[in-house]
Amino acid sequence: MAKTLPELKRLERRDLDVLLSYDNEQNLVVTYDDIKHACPCAKCAPQRNDDESSKYLRREIEAMSPEKPKVKTVGKYALSFEWINGCSSGIYRFERIWALANKLDPDDGKSYVHGAW
Amino acid sequence: MAEQPVSIHDPKANDSKEPNASPQQQKQMEQAYAQMKRKMAMQEIGRKIKHKIMVLSGKGGVGKSTVSTGLALSLAQQGHSVGILDIDITGPNVPKMMGLDGQRLHVEEGRIHPAQGHLGVKVISMAFLLEDEDTPVVWRGPIKLGAIQQFIGDVEWGELDYLVIDFPPGTSDEPLTVAQSLPDIDGMVIVTTPQDVALLDSRKSITFSESLKVPVLGVVENMSGYTIRGKTTSNSEVTIAGPGGKSHKASSDEDGNFSVTLDIFKEGGGKDTAEEFGVPFLGALPFDPGFVRGGDDGVHRIVSDPDGESAKAFSKVVDSIVEQISESPGEGLEIV
Repeated sequence: MAKTLPELKRLERRDLDVLLSYDNEQNLVVTYDDIKHACPCAKCAPQRNDDESSKYLRREIEAMSPEKPKVKTVGKYALSFEWINGCSSGIYRFERIWALANKLDPDDGKSYVHGAW
Repeated sequence: MAEQPVSIHDPKANDSKEPNASPQQQKQMEQAYAQMKRKMAMQEIGRKIKHKIMVLSGKGGVGKSTVSTGLALSLAQQGHSVGILDIDITGPNVPKMMGLDGQRLHVEEGRIHPAQGHLGVKVISMAFLLEDEDTPVVWRGPIKLGAIQQFIGDVEWGELDYLVIDFPPGTSDEPLTVAQSLPDIDGMVIVTTPQDVALLDSRKSITFSESLKVPVLGVVENMSGYTIRGKTTSNSEVTIAGPGGKSHKASSDEDGNFSVTLDIFKEGGGKDTAEEFGVPFLGALPFDPGFVRGGDDGVHRIVSDPDGESAKAFSKVVDSIVEQISESPGEGLEIV
């Protein structure tokens, strides 16, 4: 997990994605589908453990009608997304958001087993 | 429906019986009524208790109950009204540490009233319900679930600034039950010791928090270092042989006093874990044999030595927690 990240200063909820503005002047975009698919909760995370169930999860998400989520900060280290359709349980650490914005694997290639990666 | 370990007779429950209902139906109605009342009570408790803090560790034996009671007492020392809920059903130690060994709980009008320990801290623990302390509690999940729900919903906590909840070690179903039953939990404190096994399990606890949707307030490193004090000739250098044959040097002052802190396990593991996961490091608590004596005697170190090093260390941890809770979250981030 990256230790030194630029600080997220602004999050703009657009129709299909979020525009993230960091303090290093970078502006990055993450689609809502990517956020939903990367949900770190105990119910969603194991579904990404193998390609087939991961693809199935992705298809389920893409079939949902588009919506702007409510976004809240969690402590000083994470965000949560509240959806009408889809799982709202995950706490997304800023590192996770950063990984998604940079098209990196937020699970760092690890499988999710019994409540942990 | 979860089974109940404590039977509380509520005369009002009988009013809801249908005259011709069978005994089984009556029992079901009473259970449904009790469950509904409990859910409402949990919501009410959520409003009356300003802050709820879960204390967890991935591994046993890291001093979690000592830290829980220490946090509760340190918060009480700062003038907050505090309660502590000992959810460690199979090994409830909090009453002993709070000087409440052998006490029984008072039940009035269907509500359980907590015992009051040092500094007015209110305490609820399974230990109060055991016939004797040598009797093990061997309960399957549903009974445990019922006990926890009862401890949350049926307890008359009154108005509290903080409720500290002490859990058994590991990522079992107790934290899950509490997280689902008690609204608006502020977050969890992960207790660890600076050894690889404990740190590995702490990492599990941190990722577990994401599954529970409860934020991590931070990591506390317990048994962090043991400070030796002594006296020698003034302004001289002393060499102490520490664990693993490592030598530690200390200089004495003009009066000949010296001190040196030995890292019994390792150094800085809790901080590294916190950094690795991007959660706050709340502080390190020293290895203090006074905790063992205090725990056995029922007088917590913070009570017996309120100005000592350990009490100061706890106070720093509490300050960090209060800062985490009170500071507006995500300050500096604009969400539009």
